[in-house]
Amino acid sequence: MRLNNSHILYESQIMTTVLKRNKWEIWRDVIFALFAREIRTGFNDKFGLSWAIINPVIFISVLSFIRGSLGGPETHTIPTFTFMAIGILYIQSFLQTLGGSARSINQNKALFAFRQVQPLSAVLAGALFSLLIKITVIIVTIIIMYFIGIELNISNPLLFLACFILLWLSAVALGLIFGIAELFVKEIGKVRELVSRPMFFISATFFSLQDIPRQYWSFLDWNPVLHAIELSRSAVYSTYGSEGVSLEYLSGTVLVLCFFSLATYHICWKQAISR
Amino acid sequence: MIKLENITKYYPSRLGKQYIFKNLSFDIPSGHNIGILGSNGAGKSTLFRLLAGSEYPNGGKIITDLSLSWPVALATGIHHQMTGRENTRFIARVNGIADLDEYERRVIKFADLGKKFDLPVKSYSSGMKPRLAFACSIGIDFDVYLIDEVTSVGDANFRKKAKEALLERSEKANVIMVSHEMNEIRQFCDSAIVLNKGELTFYNDLEQGIAQYQAL
Repeated sequence: MRLNNSHILYESQIMTTVLKRNKWEIWRDVIFALFAREIRTGFNDKFGLSWAIINPVIFISVLSFIRGSLGGPETHTIPTFTFMAIGILYIQSFLQTLGGSARSINQNKALFAFRQVQPLSAVLAGALFSLLIKITVIIVTIIIMYFIGIELNISNPLLFLACFILLWLSAVALGLIFGIAELFVKEIGKVRELVSRPMFFISATFFSLQDIPRQYWSFLDWNPVLHAIELSRSAVYSTYGSEGVSLEYLSGTVLVLCFFSLATYHICWKQAISR
Repeated sequence: MIKLENITKYYPSRLGKQYIFKNLSFDIPSGHNIGILGSNGAGKSTLFRLLAGSEYPNGGKIITDLSLSWPVALATGIHHQMTGRENTRFIARVNGIADLDEYERRVIKFADLGKKFDLPVKSYSSGMKPRLAFACSIGIDFDVYLIDEVTSVGDANFRKKAKEALLERSEKANVIMVSHEMNEIRQFCDSAIVLNKGELTFYNDLEQGIAQYQAL
C-alpha cells in the first residue's frame, strides 16, 4: 500500500513508503548506497586517506631524485619531478582502479542477495571511489609541486583530462572482466596480480618511449597505459612531443575493452552470482 | 501467486552437476503463511534465494507480481565494520525507502539494540545481528517475507515481537519461512510445502504437511 497524502501519515501505525522507481533510479540509488558504504569502510586503518597521498608522493620524490641524479633536473625538456609525477600517478591509478574494481565484486558478494544490487553496480561504485581518491591525490600533488616551485602550466588540458579518463575507463573495463572471471575461477585473482605487476615497468613510468631504441618500440607500444602516460606528458609540455603514441590508438583500445567487458558481463553475470 | 516455470537449478561440483531442481513447475499460492519443510541439503535455501532473485536458475523462470523481501538469513547484507544505523540506511537506500528517518525509527524500535545501534556490528552478540536483520526487513512493507531461520536465534521476547509484527501485517502480507524447529513453524505458519528430491508438494493443512515430512 502506498500512501502519499500527508494527512494519513499522522496515524500511529504508518507504513514505510516504498518508492516506485524505474530502472535508472534503482541503479542510481544502489550505486550511491554502495559508494557511501565504500567511503565509510574503504579507509578503516589508522592512516586513513593520508596513506593514499603519502605513498605516491614518497614514490615520486625518491624516483625523481634517482632519475634527476642520473640525467639532471630536466628529462626530455620537462622537469624530472613532473615527468615522474605523471608516470607514477597514472600507473598507480590504473593498477589500483583495476584491482579495486575486480575485488569489489567479490567483496560485495553477500549484497547480491538484494536483487537490486548487481555486480556491475558494485564495480561502478568501487571505480568511482578510486577515481575520487586519485583526483584528490593529483590535486594534493599539484599543490606540493606549487610549493617546491615547479612551473605549473598545462599546454593542452583537454588532452590531459581525456588521457586520464580513458586510462581510468580501461582499468574499470579490465577490472570488470577479471572480477566476473574470478567468480567462476577464484585463482584468476592471483593471475591478475601477477600480470599487473610488470605493468609498472613497461608503461613508461620512469622512462620515456624516446629512451628506448626505435627498433624495440613494437614490444612496448601495444600497451594503452604507455600511450596514456606519454600523451599526458606531451599534453603538459608540448615540447615533450608525442612521437610513437596516439590518442586514436588509446581511445580505440578503450572502446574495444569496454565493449568486450560489457558483452562478457551481459552474457554471464546471472550465472556468475548463482554459483 | 508465485509461479515457478520449468525451473532447473544445479551447482557445479567436482562430481559433475549437482541438480537441486530439474524442470520443476509449481505454483506457490498466496494468502498462506507457508513453512518450507525438507531435510538438510534438500534445497530449501536455494529455493529461497531463487524466489528472492538473489540467484538465478539455470533454466526456466519465476513469475510473480508480489513484492518479495530479500532472504532474511542471519546477517544478510550486514557489514560488520559499519554501525547498525549505517547498515539500516544502506538497506533503506537499496530498497528505495522514501523516508529514511522514519524507517530508521521503526528499526530502532523493533531491533531494540539500545546504544549498540551506533556501534559497529562486529561488536554485537550473536543474537543481536539477526535481530537487526529481521528488523530491517519487517520495517519495509513487502507482500511476502522470506525468513530463513532468523527467528529461532532470538530470545523469547524477540520471538513474541516478531510474531506480533507478522500477525499485524498478516492481512496484507505473508511469510514463507524455513526452520528445522516444528514449534517455530507452528507459531508462524498455517500451511506447508514439503521439499523432497527436487519435488514440491503443498499442504493446506500444516499438521498434515508436518506428518508427511516426518514420515519421509
